Amino acid sequence: MEPRLAAYFFVSAAMFLLGVFTMVSRRNAIYVLMGAELILNAAALNFVAFARFGQPAALGGSPIDGQMFAIFIVILAAAEAAVALGIVLQLFQHFPSIDVTKPDRLSD
Amino acid sequence: MTSFSFLFFGGCALAGSLLVALMPKLVHSAFALVLALVGVAGLYWTLGADFLGGVQLLVYVGGITILFIYGIMLTPKDATRWSLPALLLPGVIALVPIAVMLNMAWTGLEALFLPGTRDEPVPGTAAIGEAFLTRDQYLIPFELASLVLLAALVGSVYLARRRKEV
Repeated sequence: MEPRLAAYFFVSAAMFLLGVFTMVSRRNAIYVLMGAELILNAAALNFVAFARFGQPAALGGSPIDGQMFAIFIVILAAAEAAVALGIVLQLFQHFPSIDVTKPDRLSD
Repeated sequence: MTSFSFLFFGGCALAGSLLVALMPKLVHSAFALVLALVGVAGLYWTLGADFLGGVQLLVYVGGITILFIYGIMLTPKDATRWSLPALLLPGVIALVPIAVMLNMAWTGLEALFLPGTRDEPVPGTAAIGEAFLTRDQYLIPFELASLVLLAALVGSVYLARRRKEV
């Protein structure tokens, strides 16, 4: 018994769905960021699953291309989380809450 | 064996994501996110991506969740509840993919697993290192990624500092 590509798709689709649900159902900015992390992980998992089960050599690629994409996703997710949390802290200094529906102006 | 570890780590990833989406408290969701990320790291290992699983553990589980927990501690705990009218639209939208996935799970669970064993995945850490430092492969993106990280470092320090009242 070995998992196939579709099994990884199932996990990835469920994670993507739950990430989107987290992003749209909560109004706290930290929840929105957590949903974004789930979505990024789902996408990276798809890349790696394709790299394992697909035929990248037939398309002129190398078998580790999918893993490289996932590594770059992790790098950019780290940068994104740091900058986004900085923005959230700054939001909290200008507005009394971090409810993403409350801020309605860009300057004082 | 791969099947067992797939079920274990895939279950971790799914349970963690579900708890992130449904936990009423922000800190509980952050710890559920750890579970989901560890599950994804395990799935990388079942796919033969050893290095990527390690990167996932170091950067995501060790770094990003700590950032999130700091963010939770430094901000007020408001707007964490669902309001029922606000939940209505996402709930209706989410019903469609949930139905598709339940259908997929109901009709095709045996199609998700292949009897017998596949060829063993090749550990690719050395190949990843060479690809990062080969000019016609990933050298330029690799160097650009370090620039992006530097810019994000400086930018987030600048953004998160406490402004003096003027």
